[in-house]
Amino acid sequence: MEFDFNSLFAFIIFGVTIGVVYGMVALGISLIYSGLDIVHFAHGEIYMFGAFFGLVLAKDMSIPYPAALIGAMILAGLMGMLIERVFYRRLTRSGGGYTVAGMGMIICGFGMSVALMNVAFLIWGADAEPFSIDLGMPLQIADIYIPQSYLLTAVVSFALMGLLHFFLKYTKIGLAVRAVAQNKDIAYLMGINVPVFISLIFGLACALAAAAGVLIGPMQSVQVEMGYLMLMKAFAAAVVGGFGSLPGALLGGILVGIFENLGAAYISPSHKDIYAFLLLILVLMIRPSGLFGIEAKVKA
Amino acid sequence: MIGFFTGVEAFFTGLSRIHRLLPWILAYLLLLPLPFLLKFGISEYYVDLANRACLFILLSVGLNIVKGFCGQVTVGHIGLYAIGAVTSALLAINYQLPFWVSAPIAILITGLAGIIVGLPSVRLEGAYLALATLGLGESVRIMIAVTPAFGSSTGIMMIPEPKIGEFIFNSFESYYYLVMTCAIIGIYLSFAILRSSTGRAFQAIREDAIAASVAGINVPFYKLLAFVISALYAGLAGALFAHMPPGYLHHNNFTIIEMVTLLLMVVLGGIGNIWGGVIGAIVVTVIYDQTKDYYFYQPLIFGIIMVVMVVFMPHGIGGVVKQAMIKRKFIENQEESRGSA
Repeated sequence: MEFDFNSLFAFIIFGVTIGVVYGMVALGISLIYSGLDIVHFAHGEIYMFGAFFGLVLAKDMSIPYPAALIGAMILAGLMGMLIERVFYRRLTRSGGGYTVAGMGMIICGFGMSVALMNVAFLIWGADAEPFSIDLGMPLQIADIYIPQSYLLTAVVSFALMGLLHFFLKYTKIGLAVRAVAQNKDIAYLMGINVPVFISLIFGLACALAAAAGVLIGPMQSVQVEMGYLMLMKAFAAAVVGGFGSLPGALLGGILVGIFENLGAAYISPSHKDIYAFLLLILVLMIRPSGLFGIEAKVKA
Repeated sequence: MIGFFTGVEAFFTGLSRIHRLLPWILAYLLLLPLPFLLKFGISEYYVDLANRACLFILLSVGLNIVKGFCGQVTVGHIGLYAIGAVTSALLAINYQLPFWVSAPIAILITGLAGIIVGLPSVRLEGAYLALATLGLGESVRIMIAVTPAFGSSTGIMMIPEPKIGEFIFNSFESYYYLVMTCAIIGIYLSFAILRSSTGRAFQAIREDAIAASVAGINVPFYKLLAFVISALYAGLAGALFAHMPPGYLHHNNFTIIEMVTLLLMVVLGGIGNIWGGVIGAIVVTVIYDQTKDYYFYQPLIFGIIMVVMVVFMPHGIGGVVKQAMIKRKFIENQEESRGSA
C-alpha cells in the first residue's frame, strides 16, 4: 500500500472529530468522578438515552435539530439527577472509598447499565435507527471531503466544552462546584448545599453525554447497544488524559480517536474496537495518572 | 429456617471432628443420585441445568477468591473463562488432544492470562482496576469475535467430549459427575486456601494493603497470586464448558451480560462468603433458566436485583444467614449462662 498523505490527513480529521465526542462523554465521567468520587459505569447508557431522546424529538416531533439537542440534554440531565438522587446518594452515604462499599458502587453501576439498556430496548427495539439530518454538501479542503456533520460536531462540542469551562472558572456556582469537588466537608462549612451541587454535577455530566449522543447520531445510526463501547472508549479517554482532569479528558478523547482511526486504517479494521482498550491498559500500567501529568486522586 | 442452617452446620462440624474430609465425602455421596432424580422426576433438561450450575459455582467461587478474599475489583473474569474454553476447544479440534491433556494446558494458559489481568492490580486501585480488567475481558471477547481462527461469528463446533478408555462423557448425566466432582473439589480447595496463610495474607490485603505490607506480606505477589488462582478456576470452568455436550462455543457466551450474571451471583450470595457464592450461583442459574420466557425483561430484572441488593443488602444472602446464625448462637449462649447461674 502506498503512503498517501491526503488519506492520512483525512483519517486524522475523522479521528479528531470522533475523539471530541469521546472527550465529551469522558468529561462527564471525569466530572462525576471529581464530584462524587465514584466511577459511573452507566454513563454509556445515559449517552444512548440522550441519542434516543434527540431522535424522538427531532424525528417524531419534528423539532429542529438544535432545539432537539438542547431538549435531549435537558431530559438526560434530569434523568441523571433522578438516578443520583435515588441510588447513588444512598450509596455515597453508606461510605465511599473502594472497600466493599466502593465495590458495591461499581457493581451497582453495572446493574444499572444493564437495566437501562434493557429499558431502552423495550421502548425502541433492537434495530439501528438512522438519524439523518440534511446539512448540505460535504466541504472540500484540498483533496479531502469532510461531511458537514463532522464540522458541526466539532464546533458544537468545542462550544459546549468552552461554555462548561467558562461556567466552572468564572461563575459563582462554578466556584461552588469546584469547591465540592475539592473537599466536601469544607464546602459544607462554607455554606454550600453539597447534595444539591452533587446533583447538579451529575446532571451536567449526563447532559454532556446526551449532547455527545445527539451529535454522533448523524454520523452513525442510533441503536441500543451503542452505549457500552462508547463507555469503554470514554473511559480510555478519561484515563489517558488523567482521571478528574477536564482539559485532560478532551485531549485524551482526541488521542483515542486518532489512535483508533489510524489503527483501523493501517493495521486491521476489524480490530478497531480493541485499540482503545490497548491504549487504556498501556496508559494504566505505565502512567496511571494520565499522560498529561495531572495528579490523580489516589486512595490507599 | 435459621434453625435448619444451624443444625446442618453443627452436624457438619461434628463430622469434621472425626475426619477433615468426612463432610465433603458425605456431601459428594448425597449429590451422586441427583441427575437420576432430576431425569426421572422432572426431565433430562434439568440435568443440563445442574451441569451449568456447577460451572457457575466454579466461576463464582474463583471470582470470590480475588474479589472477596483479596478485595480486588475485577470485571474481566468472563474473559478468562473464554480463554479457557477456546484454548481447550482449539487444542482438542486442531491437535486431536484428549480432554485430559487439552484441559490442563488450557488451565495453565488461563493462569498465565490471569497474571496479565492481575498485573494492573499491582499499581491500580478500585475503579481503575475495574476499568483495566473490563478492558482486558472485553478485548478477549472482541478478539474471539473477529478472528476466524477462534471461531469468530460461526463459533466452534464439534468439540469432542472427554473420555476415559472406552467410556465417553457424552450424556448430561455422565457429564454431571465430571463437573460436580470438579465443583466440590473447587469449593473444598477454596476453603483450604481461605484457612491457609495465603488466605490470611489475602484478607490482610483486603482490609488494608499498607498495614499488610508493614506486616511483611509481599503485597504485589499475593495480589497476583489471587488473580492466578481465580484464573485457574475460570480456566477449568471454561474447559469443562467447551467440552460439555453438545460441544459448541460462541463468543456470545462471553458478553457483558454474562459478566453481570456472574457478578450478580457473587453479590447475591455475599462478597467474600464461599457458601454464599455457591448459593448465588445456583439461585441465579435457576432463576435465569426459569425466566427464559421473559427473555426481553431478563437483564432489566437482573440489573434491578443487583442495584437493590447493593443498596439494601450489601452482604448478600450469605451475610444475612451468617448474621442470623451468630445472633441465634449468642442468644443461646446467653440463655445457657443464665440457666447455669
